[in-house]
Amino acid sequence: MKTTIQEQDGNLVAIFEGRLDTAAAPQCEQDLKPLNDCAGHDIVLDCTALDYISSSGLRLFLGVLKNAKPKGSHVFITGMNADLRNVFTMTGFINLFEFK
Amino acid sequence: MCSNMKALDLQMSQKQFTSWRKSLQRRSTLAIIITAAVLIETTAVVQYLFARKGIREEVQHRAQSELHAKSLEIRKLMVEVEASVKNMAWVIEQNLQHPDSALGVCRHLLQNTPSITGCGIAFEANYFPQYGRWYEPYIVRQADGRFKYSQIGSASHDYLQSEWFVKTKEKNGGYWSEPYYDDAGARMMLCTYTFPLHDTRGRTVAVLGADVSLDWLGKVINAKQIYPSSYNMMISREGQIMACPIESLVLRTNIQQATEKMKDTSVNSINRNMMAGRKGQTVVRDDKGQKNYVFYAPVEGETGWSMAVVCSDREIYYGLRQVGFNLLMLMLVGLALMGYIVWRMIRAFNRYQELNTSKVSMENELNIASHIQMAMLPKIYPPYPDRKDIDIYGLQKPAKAVGGDIYDFYIRDEKLFFCIGDVSGKGVPASLVMAVTRTLFRVVSGHESAPDRIVAQINETITEGNESNMFVTLFVGALDLPTGRLRYCNAGHDAPLLVGDGVGALPCVSNIPVGIMSDWKFQGQETLVLPQTTIFLYTDGLTEAENDSHGQFGMQRVLEQTQQSLAAHEQASTLLLNRMNRAVSDFVNGAEQSDDLTMLAIQYTKQQQEVRLRKAITLPNDVQTVPQLSAFVDEVCEALAFDMSVTMQMNLALEEAVVNVMNYAYPAGTQGDVHIEAQANDVRLKFTIVDDGVPFDPTAKEEIDTTLSAEERPIGGLGIFLVREMMDSINYERVNGQNVLTLRKKLAETAEN
Repeated sequence: MKTTIQEQDGNLVAIFEGRLDTAAAPQCEQDLKPLNDCAGHDIVLDCTALDYISSSGLRLFLGVLKNAKPKGSHVFITGMNADLRNVFTMTGFINLFEFK
Repeated sequence: MCSNMKALDLQMSQKQFTSWRKSLQRRSTLAIIITAAVLIETTAVVQYLFARKGIREEVQHRAQSELHAKSLEIRKLMVEVEASVKNMAWVIEQNLQHPDSALGVCRHLLQNTPSITGCGIAFEANYFPQYGRWYEPYIVRQADGRFKYSQIGSASHDYLQSEWFVKTKEKNGGYWSEPYYDDAGARMMLCTYTFPLHDTRGRTVAVLGADVSLDWLGKVINAKQIYPSSYNMMISREGQIMACPIESLVLRTNIQQATEKMKDTSVNSINRNMMAGRKGQTVVRDDKGQKNYVFYAPVEGETGWSMAVVCSDREIYYGLRQVGFNLLMLMLVGLALMGYIVWRMIRAFNRYQELNTSKVSMENELNIASHIQMAMLPKIYPPYPDRKDIDIYGLQKPAKAVGGDIYDFYIRDEKLFFCIGDVSGKGVPASLVMAVTRTLFRVVSGHESAPDRIVAQINETITEGNESNMFVTLFVGALDLPTGRLRYCNAGHDAPLLVGDGVGALPCVSNIPVGIMSDWKFQGQETLVLPQTTIFLYTDGLTEAENDSHGQFGMQRVLEQTQQSLAAHEQASTLLLNRMNRAVSDFVNGAEQSDDLTMLAIQYTKQQQEVRLRKAITLPNDVQTVPQLSAFVDEVCEALAFDMSVTMQMNLALEEAVVNVMNYAYPAGTQGDVHIEAQANDVRLKFTIVDDGVPFDPTAKEEIDTTLSAEERPIGGLGIFLVREMMDSINYERVNGQNVLTLRKKLAETAEN
């Protein structure tokens, strides 16, 4: 599992690669810390290379959203495959995020 | 809804019917009273008329008797006078030439006949030339009893022209004069009987006159009246009033003058008839409108007098009227009393009707309540047509519209939760407690899988505020369908029967019924139910079903029926219950059902499948081992040829389930293993997750709400939700000090997906 934060066109982009399961979640949480300081920037969670996500990963996504919203930042999700999108639908997370 | 509408319609039409019936009642009552009044009135009137007729005949009879008696009395006096006069006339005729001696005879007449007050001999003109043209010697009895002689004939008293003189001569016989007031001689009311006197050659030469005082006549006539205020009167042939109650009229007035001002003209015909000497009777109204009966008849003899008896109608019928009035009063009082009684009866009847109406509406409500209650009970059989591991059939016959028996079942997480209970008492109160108990059973078992804890929680709620001291005998069971493990808790209910290899009662410890005491420690039990075994549950309505001679169906018959069922290989739920139902119906044979009767049969029909795949892995309670778990799951899925999508779902479910166990079954800082076994047959894939940690039931967690916004959503609680979504069933058991979590996925569905 690899998580990279980039700044593209004034947006903060988090690129996920591999499996975001319970084992990977703590490291990922560390990697996402830069997103806490997102004032003035929208956040893009790039899931193009994300193979798997469990409830631990969903929790991290929710944490990012809860942090960004009060600062006026939008959180977008891009490139999510159908199976993961199904999980988002099932859990109602699809209503919380904006998808690109 | 439909039945509610029908009930409403029924109530409406009942109201209309009731008001129609009420008005009918009112009308018929009125008719009864009117008919009674008319009958009584008619009878009274007929009686009154008959009585009146009788009285009238009586009065007629009495009046005629009176007239006859008076007439006879008068006649007697008249005859006496006439006889005296006739007798003396012969003597006087012998002494006509000697008027003094003739007068002596007259004196003799006066002395012998007291009713004669005066007597005179009126001679033809110039009979004694020496006495002049008029000569009438006269003798009168004076008040002191002495006699006074006088000659009263003169130019001023020209008797030769007087009616009695002329008539007597004409008649040449006795003649009664009209009554008159003699102001010349006797100075009293008189009437004179005259008789012609002849000389030796037979010529009439004088008229002998005897004056009769009418004082006695009045006394005789009015001596006695037939009624206190009735009176008699007498008139002469010329209509002169001779006797009547008003003395001032006597001899002063003619009857026609006296009555000419009367409004009722029928009095004139009476006058005519009386003067003509006819007899009869007539009704005359006086000027005040009062009816008077006048009976009249002539007095026999030559006087031409006529006598009348006058009775007032009011007096004649006074007695009858009095009786009639009393009768009328009595009748009115009777009618009033009758009216009151009928009114009371109607009121009582109407109250009964109202009571009946409210009873009917209550029955309607009871029917609705019964529908609601029946809707609470499972009623579609077989309840799980897709399942091959369970066969259930239930039956309930409430003694009243609504019953106090309860039974229910449903499947959660591959466990069949079921209960049967009997609320103390019957009818509406029992049904309310039944409804509460059933709801509590559903609510509590929704998050609690252990029957003893389910019963304990139901007990706490029912005991709290149980002021009516109702209680429920309750049996709660949870049959783990994959394993056949039955956990149960019996709170004072009849022990269910197990019908399998043989028939036997399920061993039950004695817990008290629910609702009696809070904080009671209900003891749970467990057993293993073998495939094809039927659990037969019932309420005491079965064993205590009574026939007409109060014999009870009894436990022995229940056992016999189940044994026969088993012997005939008919222990399937439907067959067993139908057999029992037939037996109890035959036994009761139409006698009134005294208690609710409920039966529930659950047959465990699990088929053993050949295991085709079995893999296992043991992990420490460290979430960092999740990739190993993932690899294990991938391996299993590959063996079963699952596609990527399903494989990801299995991964997700297993990760969530195992991480849950790792985090919660082993408190932080403790170490332990988690064993995961995958097993598959032709039908389904099963993961069994076993750990040695503290009891932890992930299925008892409440469902999360996926519709909440980001701010409202709690971090966590998603795991078990995802497991439920991904798998077909999740099932927790605590077995031998271990937590056993079973996840199942149907293979047929995965193939379709």
